[in-house]
Amino acid sequence: MSARVPRALAIFLCLTASLALAQATKSGPKTKPAAPTKPAAAGFHVPVDSYKLPNGLRVVLSEDHTAPTAVLAVYYNIGFRIEPQDRTGFAHLFEHMMFEGSQNAPKGVFDKLTNGNGGVNNGSTRFDFTNYFEVVPSNLLETVLWLEADRMRGLLITEENLKNQQGVVMNEVKVNVLNQPYGGFPWLDMPQYANSNWYNAHNFYGELKDLEAANLEDVKKFFDTYYAPNNAALVVVGDFNAKQTKEWIAKHFGDIKSGPPIKTPDISEPRQEKEKRAKKIDLLAKRPALAIAYHVPQRNSPEYFAMAILDQLLVQGNDSLLRQELVKKRGYTAEVEGGINLLGNAFNYNGPMLWTASLIHDAEASPEKILEAVDAVIEPLRTKPIDQQMLDLARVKLRSSFYDSVGEFNGFGRADLLASFALFDDNPARINALDAEFAKVTPDTVLKAAREYLRPSNRTVLVLEPGAEAAPKGN
Amino acid sequence: MKRLIKLLATGTLAAVILPTAVAQKPTPPQPGPPKPFTVPKAEKFTLPNGLAITMVPYGTIPKVEIMLAVRAGNLNEAAEQVWLADLTGELLKEGTKAKTSEAVDQQFARMGGRLDVQVTPDQTLISTDVLGEYAPDAARLLAEVVTTPRLPASELPRLKADAQRRLAVAKTQPRQIALERFRKLLYGDHPYGRVFPTEPMLAKYAIEDAQKFYAQNFGATRTHVYVAGKFDPAAVKSALTQAFAKWTRGPAPLVNIPKANARRTFELIERPGAVQSTLYLGLPVVDPSHADYIPLQVTNAMLGGSFISRITQNIRENKGYTYSPFSQLSARYRDTYWVEVADVTTAVTGPSLKEIFGEIDGMRKGPPPADELARIQRYLSGVFVLQNSTREGVIGRLNFVNLHGLGDDYLSTYVQKVNAVTAAAVHRMAQKYVDPDRMTLVIVGDKPKINDQVAPYAQVSMKQ
Repeated sequence: MSARVPRALAIFLCLTASLALAQATKSGPKTKPAAPTKPAAAGFHVPVDSYKLPNGLRVVLSEDHTAPTAVLAVYYNIGFRIEPQDRTGFAHLFEHMMFEGSQNAPKGVFDKLTNGNGGVNNGSTRFDFTNYFEVVPSNLLETVLWLEADRMRGLLITEENLKNQQGVVMNEVKVNVLNQPYGGFPWLDMPQYANSNWYNAHNFYGELKDLEAANLEDVKKFFDTYYAPNNAALVVVGDFNAKQTKEWIAKHFGDIKSGPPIKTPDISEPRQEKEKRAKKIDLLAKRPALAIAYHVPQRNSPEYFAMAILDQLLVQGNDSLLRQELVKKRGYTAEVEGGINLLGNAFNYNGPMLWTASLIHDAEASPEKILEAVDAVIEPLRTKPIDQQMLDLARVKLRSSFYDSVGEFNGFGRADLLASFALFDDNPARINALDAEFAKVTPDTVLKAAREYLRPSNRTVLVLEPGAEAAPKGN
Repeated sequence: MKRLIKLLATGTLAAVILPTAVAQKPTPPQPGPPKPFTVPKAEKFTLPNGLAITMVPYGTIPKVEIMLAVRAGNLNEAAEQVWLADLTGELLKEGTKAKTSEAVDQQFARMGGRLDVQVTPDQTLISTDVLGEYAPDAARLLAEVVTTPRLPASELPRLKADAQRRLAVAKTQPRQIALERFRKLLYGDHPYGRVFPTEPMLAKYAIEDAQKFYAQNFGATRTHVYVAGKFDPAAVKSALTQAFAKWTRGPAPLVNIPKANARRTFELIERPGAVQSTLYLGLPVVDPSHADYIPLQVTNAMLGGSFISRITQNIRENKGYTYSPFSQLSARYRDTYWVEVADVTTAVTGPSLKEIFGEIDGMRKGPPPADELARIQRYLSGVFVLQNSTREGVIGRLNFVNLHGLGDDYLSTYVQKVNAVTAAAVHRMAQKYVDPDRMTLVIVGDKPKINDQVAPYAQVSMKQ
């Protein structure tokens, strides 16, 4: 393609430094599946050294001396799912405020110390966590530990800073959603249609009026509630000395006070009993699109691991069943995209989740024709067990994509998995146990998972229609 | 809880409370001395038919990336052939003389990878990223894909329909609309100026067109193979040597250097109701083979090419006009332009342009402060290490060096050259190359709302 400007797929990545870096290195977008699932394999061991500070901060260290670089990632156990009901988009807006200055590093210092010393930084807001990370030359590790500790201790936010970032975030929503064809489709739209509990079904990028209404009192309250060491995990990956790094962590984070226990709301979803259909009119699009989503099994259950296998078979890779059927055989589209958790992967969330697949197609291929083709692929998986060869193929793809994760962005991908397993399972060493979990999956478990979770009545279909003038709002 | 947030009323600036904070302020630990970094060592060799191979054993992760870079891109298309290179690229995925596309897809999948084809103005990049143990098999299969493609007529209608759809979608994306016009204004009828085909043009392509494009543009002397990651070098070397031994030499790379427009040119493209204006403004500059390119990279990183750059700090971190502005040096063979791109809220389109041009003027007025320059130099040096520390990054850098003919010592001397750039040199680069009077401006937005705001920028020497 001659079209050269990559659109950031990582929609919630908030600072552009690393994206600009990606743009500078490659001359064009390299499309790879956004959210493959990633198991570990025997034969490749990720070093994991984990402990807890007295204030409750979980710490995970994983050495890798391949290059003189290091990753520091701090994950807070607060995602957009449970943000305040009258402040949609606030978890993400708050993430921006974390870059606006802390007690000893007023606005601007953070970027000068990280970018200005050869590193990049970023943050993102997801279903169940907000993360902050720096990828730096390894000689900068103590400096970024100090920076993260300083903002964990407290922020230094002015009305002016808040107003500035409200402007930035509203522009983020515009550039990624409001001013784009297929903006928010299906990653932002689908959870709103498929889920029934507000916590899973609200607009987590935020209504502009809610973003505009946020005030300093909200910022303070949110920080006091969720941003405490006992609600966080800190991960260091890369080229460092473990003993010295532990000393630095104790020195900079040790005296940060714990916060009160956090009350978490009920985020559960009821079992879906009837297929849902929704329509969205997109005034900016010229071709229709269609997405399907199914609620997935509970995290870490046997069926969950089987679902990750089904994801590989159905939609990951050029050989996947949906791609072969919809792209090669029927010619409805050029690409079927999808996965478990479109804003991450099958491991970095902690609650109800969807498996989603979507495509942009021509008007000649009606939604009914597409769904008939989808059913032609899915129904056989629900009627008889897959053969061992298919299962093995899925496991190879999982292993390969797991290695991609571990190496992604100079070790950030490894930090992401370790932080998720530390926060959600209190067991970062799980990173090395995944392969064993996937090895337990049998053709019968896959069949069982397909029967319950790929049920038509567990499905939501979202149809995107190109806009006509004065079209009614989809619903 | 002792964790505190200072709550300040509107208009009270952070500076007001800073003195107290500064008095008891623990200062950040100084970074330790930087560790030495050497670019991963590469083994290079050339086959008798001219095919070049570079192998870089790297890292501990048991995967390998293999990429075939062929000097066949949009540059090689005739005026009535826009996207024929892309269509040929898609056809490369449709099987080999001996294997169906489904068999190829499955074989790559069993190695943990997939076949990717990407077409750029100068190159077709055919790659896969597989488990390291399969490196020789993957190398053989990639060679089979590129040397004996099936290019089947049966798949052409589907691929053309896909291309029509991709075109329809691209023409609704504001940045694509801006890019298309920007390139047209810069390059006119040169292939680099042709970003989109027309629908009738796409509809006309026959399988013979793609087959001819392949026959005329693919061959060993135009191809460089890169292998990076964890693999057995001897086995891969032998696999590649055998698999490519009989491939035709083919033609030498086509050289067709554009004469880019360097006059103030302005175009406002209507996008009814757009809540943002998409700004594209830039001009031709020197290409990577020129000695000024590295000083110009430093200048770009300071002006708009990093988060700590002047334009980004101004229109995002100070004004909140936009989310992800950036500037870059966009390079093709012996051709480069500098460009600033930003999607700004409609109501502040004029003010955004004022700030951007204000920062450009600031760069041209005098040399930057020493500490600002040092930060930018450290930023570029650090990013260079990150770019060269993944297998994809290593291949990307090596391909850049080879495409632009920069020489073997380019990567090993890069950091040194970045750090040798003086404040005076940055000033000189800004004056010499980043000249507003020679820039092309494309704005995509809600015309009735922004017409008056942007009118002053249609001509040179505007008064601000």
